Amino acid sequence: MLWGSKLLNYVGFPTSEVLGPEATSEQIKALLDRYGQVLVKPNFKGGVGKKGKAGLIGFASDVATAMQEKERLYFVEHHVGRNRTKAEGVTFESAIPAKYEIYVSISDDTRFRAPTLTITHHGGVDIEELSKDQIATIPYDALTGFKGFVVANALDSINAPNEIISPLVQNLPKLWDLFNNYGMSTLELNPIRMMPKNGRLMPIACDFKCAFDTDDPSWKRLELPASLDSSGYSDFEIEINELRTYQGQSDVFVTNEQGTVTAMTFGGGANALVTELLGEAGTISSDFGGNPPYEKMYEISRIVYKHWLAQSNVLFIIGGKANNTDIYTTMRAMGDALRDYFNQHGPVPVYVVVGRGGPNLVRGMAYLKDILDALGIPFRMFGHDSSMSGVVNYVKAIDDWMQADGRSIVTQKMGIKNGH
Amino acid sequence: MADPLLPKKWALKMGIKNLKSSMNMTGENVSFPDAARHAGIAAFPHYFVGINSLAELATTSDRVCVLNILGNESKSVTPTSHVYSAGNVVCGTMPGRSGSVLKTELGDIPVYNSVVEALQAGHRFNVAVVYVPPAGVKDAVIEAVRVNPELTKVIILTEKVPLSDARIIRHYCQQQQVDVFGGNCLGIADAHHHVRIGGALGGSHPEESLIPGSIAIYSNSGNFTTTIAVYLSTAGWGTTVSLSSGKDVYIHFAAAEFSHAFHNDDRSKAAIMYIEPGGYYEQDLVFQKPVVACIVGRWKDRLTKACGHAGAIAGSGDNAAAKEQWFMQKFGVDRIFTADHPVCSARGAVVTNIADIPLAMTAVMALNNEAPDFEKKGDLSMKCWLADDLGDILPAELNIQPVKAVAPYDEQIKLVNEQIGVIFPRQSMKDASGASMMDPVTQITRLFGISILDVATHTYEDNLVMSLVREYPDENSRALANVLLNAYVNLHNTPMLTAAFAARQAGNSPNTALCAALSIIGPDMAARASRGTRLLLELFHQHGLSDPAADESGDNGFDLHAVVKQAIMDKRRELLLTDDGDELATIMLSGIVSRNADTVFIRFLQLLASETRQYVAADAVVAAICCHLAWKPLLHKRLSVTTLYNMPWHFRIFSAALGASAREDRHTDTAFGGIEIATLVKEWSYTDTAYLALLTKKPGVEDRFAFSILLGLVASNGPGTISAQGAKGAVSADGPEVPERVQINKAYAGFLSHTGYAHGGNGYEAMRFLISRFRDIGLADPGDPDHGIDLAELAADYAREYKSYKTQAKAAGNLSYEKIPCINHPVFKGKDVNYDPREVYVHDLFRARNSYNIFHEFYHELVKALASYGVSPNVYCVNIDAVIAVILLKMLWRPFVDREITEQFLEYGAFTTFVYGRLVGEAAEIEDHTTRGRNMDTRTPASKCQAVS
Repeated sequence: MLWGSKLLNYVGFPTSEVLGPEATSEQIKALLDRYGQVLVKPNFKGGVGKKGKAGLIGFASDVATAMQEKERLYFVEHHVGRNRTKAEGVTFESAIPAKYEIYVSISDDTRFRAPTLTITHHGGVDIEELSKDQIATIPYDALTGFKGFVVANALDSINAPNEIISPLVQNLPKLWDLFNNYGMSTLELNPIRMMPKNGRLMPIACDFKCAFDTDDPSWKRLELPASLDSSGYSDFEIEINELRTYQGQSDVFVTNEQGTVTAMTFGGGANALVTELLGEAGTISSDFGGNPPYEKMYEISRIVYKHWLAQSNVLFIIGGKANNTDIYTTMRAMGDALRDYFNQHGPVPVYVVVGRGGPNLVRGMAYLKDILDALGIPFRMFGHDSSMSGVVNYVKAIDDWMQADGRSIVTQKMGIKNGH
Repeated sequence: MADPLLPKKWALKMGIKNLKSSMNMTGENVSFPDAARHAGIAAFPHYFVGINSLAELATTSDRVCVLNILGNESKSVTPTSHVYSAGNVVCGTMPGRSGSVLKTELGDIPVYNSVVEALQAGHRFNVAVVYVPPAGVKDAVIEAVRVNPELTKVIILTEKVPLSDARIIRHYCQQQQVDVFGGNCLGIADAHHHVRIGGALGGSHPEESLIPGSIAIYSNSGNFTTTIAVYLSTAGWGTTVSLSSGKDVYIHFAAAEFSHAFHNDDRSKAAIMYIEPGGYYEQDLVFQKPVVACIVGRWKDRLTKACGHAGAIAGSGDNAAAKEQWFMQKFGVDRIFTADHPVCSARGAVVTNIADIPLAMTAVMALNNEAPDFEKKGDLSMKCWLADDLGDILPAELNIQPVKAVAPYDEQIKLVNEQIGVIFPRQSMKDASGASMMDPVTQITRLFGISILDVATHTYEDNLVMSLVREYPDENSRALANVLLNAYVNLHNTPMLTAAFAARQAGNSPNTALCAALSIIGPDMAARASRGTRLLLELFHQHGLSDPAADESGDNGFDLHAVVKQAIMDKRRELLLTDDGDELATIMLSGIVSRNADTVFIRFLQLLASETRQYVAADAVVAAICCHLAWKPLLHKRLSVTTLYNMPWHFRIFSAALGASAREDRHTDTAFGGIEIATLVKEWSYTDTAYLALLTKKPGVEDRFAFSILLGLVASNGPGTISAQGAKGAVSADGPEVPERVQINKAYAGFLSHTGYAHGGNGYEAMRFLISRFRDIGLADPGDPDHGIDLAELAADYAREYKSYKTQAKAAGNLSYEKIPCINHPVFKGKDVNYDPREVYVHDLFRARNSYNIFHEFYHELVKALASYGVSPNVYCVNIDAVIAVILLKMLWRPFVDREITEQFLEYGAFTTFVYGRLVGEAAEIEDHTTRGRNMDTRTPASKCQAVS
């Protein structure tokens, strides 16, 4: 909520009062004086779910307890599925007495191919735990955004109590401004607590999650600190992401930092297949398709080699039969970067396997072959008429062989000694 | 005001009222059967879909306008699409490029600033293909739809369209009853119609992948759309329509629309659906015909951010596992189809690997009594096209041998394999080198990847060979190289010797004198040997020689007689032979025998000479040795053939450089430096000959070692050095793009003219400094550790003396006071104790041999003393020039003390040693620049030059 409340304030959506981890005893005391109770919540980047269920929300009615909870939760680890997340500080949030807890999310639903509001007045729990008739999922017009009547219709359809409809109709449409104007792909408030005020209920957002569309520059206007990014990009990913331009993909994901096969993959399909089949052997999952220009491909290759080549048994260049990606351009860039890597860092024992098809294929293969020959690197190149999965399995077999004794044989054959 | 959502009204408002019936590129009149927008087909009551059958997706009557037609991707893709589809692109747009054209084999496609302008010019089209950058896609689509009432299809190729824009595109085109495909897709192709619109399906040769048949393809992956088509053909299945759907969050023409159109397309008997995680597009599909679904991406569950396709981030309900279940339920199967477990029903099969698609399709269709469309085309077995294993290193099961590739790649690969040597792509080589690189931090240079510290441990002849062929010779090759290098060192009665003598007489520096000599070794002096290398290369490459050192029986049946037979038929054999005996050739041939060296090229020459009853020419021996040295690097594509052709010239220069550095009276009819040429050729290493040239005697073991170290250490300091710049500039000026025109000897002249007193001179300055310290204290043997001299005290004396001198000089305002030579290399500044790693390496090398050098030790004491007495704030480092000085001075100390040589000779010695060593590096730079560089590429643009007044 620390940043969520700041974002919600842009559009005037009421939030709980939130103090950051730096809050003094006096500030917490003042919050307690106003609300009687504070919630101490660990700060997880990106908003990890099921905190309450995991016992990761502290309740305090006095400063001493609040501080104890702060100590307990400040660096607490949260396990969700296979992901482990470590807290970075806590927030102190005003406890909002409420009769109702509302769940609201906005996202694009592929079932409607439209922006869609999901809402229930049975919020405060995981939405998956509710039955379908307790949840309203309403698509709405992308040009006009969602309006009060969308909210009213949605709440009507799940028989929401009348007393919450009006305040929500007044306030929820503000969320569209936040969602639409700042390039969000998902926005979720759970719960919004309906706090009695002056004889009516007022919605107070008590937890906030959002995701931004990386292809939409609008969110950069928010000037959020880079450290907020939930994904925890590795240095490698950050360097590659800096190359993100519209021509040519440059998507990477580190799958195993101890991997021994570095696959430079071209095309979303190849990316899926190769990453899946390589499994733990792969260092990265990548997609460099989309006909990248030479300069971009060279930079990508340079960064990939810098981070992964030394530990790799196999450098794997793999894609299907490219429709548009110029194989000569991409092979030239990868080859040149490899040569420059060897010149700069000295040779490393590595086996190169290529599986590729597309425009200027043989010209590209010949260029790379010349460089591999010149560097004394052993290699095998397969055309697009070899099954891609067959080539991946071959790479895995080469990796196993390298692991066993191939690496030392290649080291010796390449004349590598004393680390250079 | 006109309603912008009423396109026809709007078109009229824009003045586009005279939409004339335009002709397409092939001259046919255009009419759009479905041009009039309709409410959409009834099967989709909640939203608009205009396509009822796959046969309507890409038709022969579709006419296309390409937006951003001259962008990089469109420029290469559109002409192929246009030609494949018999000219279906009527026009394109590109802001600011009105009046341009995109050339195609079917004629030029006109380009306009905007869609409105294209319409005003009278073009009619019903398809807009969008190649606009992401930020402009939304506006481009809206504009195209808004102004052209006949538009029925929009195909968005662009990747990374913002979600908020995709939303609006969807909404707007729905209102306007326009079908949208993509974004981030590769468009649509119809193999039966021979039409592809909106992208590069099938790449530059669509016919190879788009073979007419009975299978429709729907694919979330653009690349896999046609990869799957190729895979299907291996089982005899062709395609109807191939649709690349894209895999953004918004798939505008998605699985449901595809399925409906598939059911209504009589040509399509079955479909392949390639599906990735994320989205619920496929959940409610109901199929009326067989489908093989390929579901990939189980691993994507581990992802926390998009990688590959933006829409492929899945929650728990739409991940790959969930999607596998959806399709398995539809098909009534309980597991994934694999080759080992071919589980399928007549309704379909689910695979998770595209390699299983052909088998699965055949199995499913067999249950429907349907046979493949045609004979299988190829197969998906592992076919290696190119390989190199550095010898047989792989175990048998991994050792997949190259096979002939499918046409047309087989011919192309044949040409690649026939190509001898590497062809480096040409680029500007100003301040760049493919030969050397100095690490700016450690100051250690690498020559062809070999650290200069390693270079220093090799002999001079090894390094000269390496400088040209990029790898060190084995013992046999070294012997051959020594024969060749020694054979031409004697310059008796040559103009080169005269020129060098005259230059020295006129007071020129050693490098200038050498420059004069080498300038005379023009191309004609090495031309015959160079042509000889060409002939030998041609003959032996044709006969598949792999190892020139192996004998006939050992070289896999290499038939020398066949080569001789062919050579006899070739008039150019005269390059290799003489009618009269050639004395130098005889000396070299007997030198080869004496050294027990062997090469197939020499055996060939001897056999040829005996068959033709002629004699082997000396130039032929030169050519043979050069071919031998270069053969394997050429086969391994590490070397350009240009370098092989130039090698005789380089070797001639290597020999002449040594010869011309020695006084003229040391050359006689038959001897050099008092040693018979025949003896040099038979017995001497070139390192020893260099020592002889410089120091007039054969070195002992320790001196040879020290001398080799000395020559190796100065071999190169990277392409930025003045000497390299001189050599590279000379090559650049001749125009390396026509490498035959590059004058190799002139390039060496460039190098030599770019060395000077300040260059090799610092080593001399250090020697002079050391002499001043040691001259009067009775040092007899600098290699004796029991010299009895207190080096620390000697250093301290000097430190005190220097401090006082420096203080006085500064007080007098003299800031250009004399510096102590060869310490404090600037790069290593700023640390308490400085060590030049090269100096440390050499110091350790000598220590390991128990080889003591008092001068070296003194330098170490000196830098410490300078710090102790406050002359310097830190301990300076002893630099590499000091190392050169101390090694050389140790060798020359005795003759110097005994007055056999003068101080002037020391300077000559330091300078000439530097030049000998640097020959290695510059040979490498000259060849590198010749084989990689561009004409005039070392020029500095005027904008980067400074005017100084």
